[in-house]
Amino acid sequence: MMLKNIRRNLIGSLVIVLGTMVLVPVVIFVWSILAFLDAATDEKSKNFKGIVTERWRLPSQMPFAYAASLSDGAASKPGDVKPEDSMTWQFYGGTLDPEKRTRENSLFAIATEPRKLCTMMDELDTLPPEEAAKLDEAIQEMERNRQAIIMGQDRLAAVNKRVGERIKLYGINYRDLDLELEIVGTFPEGRYDNTAAINRDYLLAALDAYERQTGKPHPLADKTLNLVWLRVPDSEAFAQVAGQILASPNYTSPAVKFETAASGIASFLDAYRDLIWGMRWLLAPALLFTLALVISNAISISVRERQTELAVLKVLGFRPWQIMVLVLGEASLVGLLAGLCSAGATFATVNLVFGGFKFPIAFFGAFFIPAEALAWGVGVGLLTALLGSVMPAWTASRIRVSEVFAKVA
Amino acid sequence: MQISPALWIPAAALGAAAGLLVWQGRIPFRYNVRNLVVRWKTTLLTILAFVAVNSLLVVMLAFVNGMYQLTDNSGNPANVVVLSEGATDESFSNLQFTDAGELENHPQVARRHGRPMCSRESYLVVNQPIPDARPGRPERRFLQLRGLDDPGLSAAIHDLQLSDGGSWFSPAGVRQLPGPGAGSPDSPPAIEVVLGEGIARELGRDRSDQALQAARNRERLEVGDVFVLGDRPWLVVGVLQSSGSTFDSEVWAKRAIIGPMFGKETYTSLVLRAQDAAAARELKEYLNLEYKQAAVQALLEEEYFASLSQTNKQFLFGVIFVVFWLAVGGACGLMNTMFAAVSQRKRDLGVLRLLGFARWQILASLLIESLLLGLVGGLLGCALGSLCHGVKASSIVSSGHGVAGKFVVLVMTVDVDTLLLGLLLSAAMGLLGGLLPALVAVCRRPLEALR
Repeated sequence: MMLKNIRRNLIGSLVIVLGTMVLVPVVIFVWSILAFLDAATDEKSKNFKGIVTERWRLPSQMPFAYAASLSDGAASKPGDVKPEDSMTWQFYGGTLDPEKRTRENSLFAIATEPRKLCTMMDELDTLPPEEAAKLDEAIQEMERNRQAIIMGQDRLAAVNKRVGERIKLYGINYRDLDLELEIVGTFPEGRYDNTAAINRDYLLAALDAYERQTGKPHPLADKTLNLVWLRVPDSEAFAQVAGQILASPNYTSPAVKFETAASGIASFLDAYRDLIWGMRWLLAPALLFTLALVISNAISISVRERQTELAVLKVLGFRPWQIMVLVLGEASLVGLLAGLCSAGATFATVNLVFGGFKFPIAFFGAFFIPAEALAWGVGVGLLTALLGSVMPAWTASRIRVSEVFAKVA
Repeated sequence: MQISPALWIPAAALGAAAGLLVWQGRIPFRYNVRNLVVRWKTTLLTILAFVAVNSLLVVMLAFVNGMYQLTDNSGNPANVVVLSEGATDESFSNLQFTDAGELENHPQVARRHGRPMCSRESYLVVNQPIPDARPGRPERRFLQLRGLDDPGLSAAIHDLQLSDGGSWFSPAGVRQLPGPGAGSPDSPPAIEVVLGEGIARELGRDRSDQALQAARNRERLEVGDVFVLGDRPWLVVGVLQSSGSTFDSEVWAKRAIIGPMFGKETYTSLVLRAQDAAAARELKEYLNLEYKQAAVQALLEEEYFASLSQTNKQFLFGVIFVVFWLAVGGACGLMNTMFAAVSQRKRDLGVLRLLGFARWQILASLLIESLLLGLVGGLLGCALGSLCHGVKASSIVSSGHGVAGKFVVLVMTVDVDTLLLGLLLSAAMGLLGGLLPALVAVCRRPLEALR
């Protein structure tokens, strides 16, 4: 009966489907961003990463002499805890055209240990086998050739180059330190679309060459280490490593701090807190409210147009609650199916066709729709349909048979 | 009260369409109004959907407007910002002390009391741990410090003034706080600072309950208040009237104190005040093309702040994306309402046709009705959204290079363009949502409708 009613009230059903199909993706976009940021700032209890940076200043600039001992978590005595893995980051900004620098011809690269790209970088350590193998090939090439660069796909397209081509980067932050690089691969589509990675040995060699040529060290030579990532097994180990680093006399000028990745990201996101609050508490509820109103309107109209039919059902012995369930069921069924289809289509289109959706917040360039979005779609479709149809269903169940037939007569 | 030229064309087009409908429509306007009143529940629900869409549009655009106001209003056309060559932002710039003297003595630089109007600045971003942070608040924040040699001169160049009761920090830049142990090595003197209004409010929020109870101003830090950063006390000696500029989120202190303290031993920028805007352009050209003594790049201050609008563009794109889909959803709701209205009034419309009204006159009448629904919802949505006008919010402005940017406190601004855009969107949604039902209605034959 519900299915027949849905088919008979085609315009109303189509409006609900269309409204749901249009608004559910927007809700999913908003929730995908919020869910990702919540996960990124949520302190983990096991297998988490910490970041060592300069204690006071931003951007953090530490001497490279810190790198070796920090990578060991400043472990110096028997019984000290060593991190499971580590990675150093040095930021190198360069442009392909020093005469006319633009966003398009500039890029920022992370100078690091090539092998650590696939063990320490978020999401690169959990790639599907095919993508992992492709990245591994590029990393092996970078280990063989220290002038290699791996680029994000958007950045590669922006500079209008291809894998296999050579580029010369003119230093932006490292003034007069130019690097000649060979593009050996790309990062998988998504989070690292605008990032690039180079072998840190090449940057360090270029700094040495600068000193040999000019007779004095580069101004950034003793400030070249930007941050060190450490992976520790649990919070206990984290606390112990943090204690080792903070107690070490080796890191006083400048002083350093060690914090969890979640805490570091939360600090960066603080600048966006009002925007995130607005997305969570204004935008998402307003979207749901609008959807519920559209559905409510459609169901109200449908109930009003079917007053006679509903009165006949009552005459035939239908109880008010049964009529209520009938109306609620119709709306819920349409909402649920539309929500599921919409979420499925959004998931497939965004993740598989477009490789994520671009909305740069802090250092996150692109977001993906999580698998949970299918449940969100069903939930949103069902919930808004139920909310929107409660009043019309209540009205339908209270229809007075005598009044309806009097009008008809 | 200025309307952007870009809005004139759609406004004129929609105004002309609405005018044409009213002028050519022969069916009394009362008829449409009564129809909407009789079916008040449906009308109300449709209007509410429009209110939600429009108020959201206004709030989101007010946020982006606030960001644009910051980047557009923070510069003076006669000011030239000098950074080290290649620096994309103040954070990455390093100018040697020796360069400043020569640059500021250029003849194009204006003078005040015989001194060149040059603001020597060291911009730093530092971590400030927040002990006993309240639940939901971060445990540390990034604080933007601007080290200056002469705060009065810098403020004059940036067109900023102090709030009543404040003063600039002293030439020493430090002051001994009264109390036990004052003057001892364990109790170093406090660093004098001038705060932007926005950061004074932010710092004020993180005070303990005890400090708040004793505070003279519970909303923000005031002159005489102290906060802690880098294991030192910092004494507020003045608060800037900086609302609506990027300086609103900055802490100004003596460069010679904070530079060495946080390891910034160079200037990051020099801001030169030229005689006028034309002289500023000439000075910029000279520094970029002819000046060879130091590797510097010069930008007009307005250009510099305009370059920080990349984030604004990204947010604006996000707003347009969301509003587009919301508008489609709202138009769906209106379409349904109008389909129902047309269906219920099938016989009325048939009678109108038999009375001699032409098809297009009925079409005009139905479109006027949907336009009316859209405009009423739009007006109410604009009114509701306008409540956010003047609300302060935090955000970031940046040039899009890496994660460098300025943390700012913006004032959400609802302007005429925003309201007009809201109304135009509502009118467009009304017309588009009503078009299909109206076409279906007028295509029906009169006798068929009456059967």
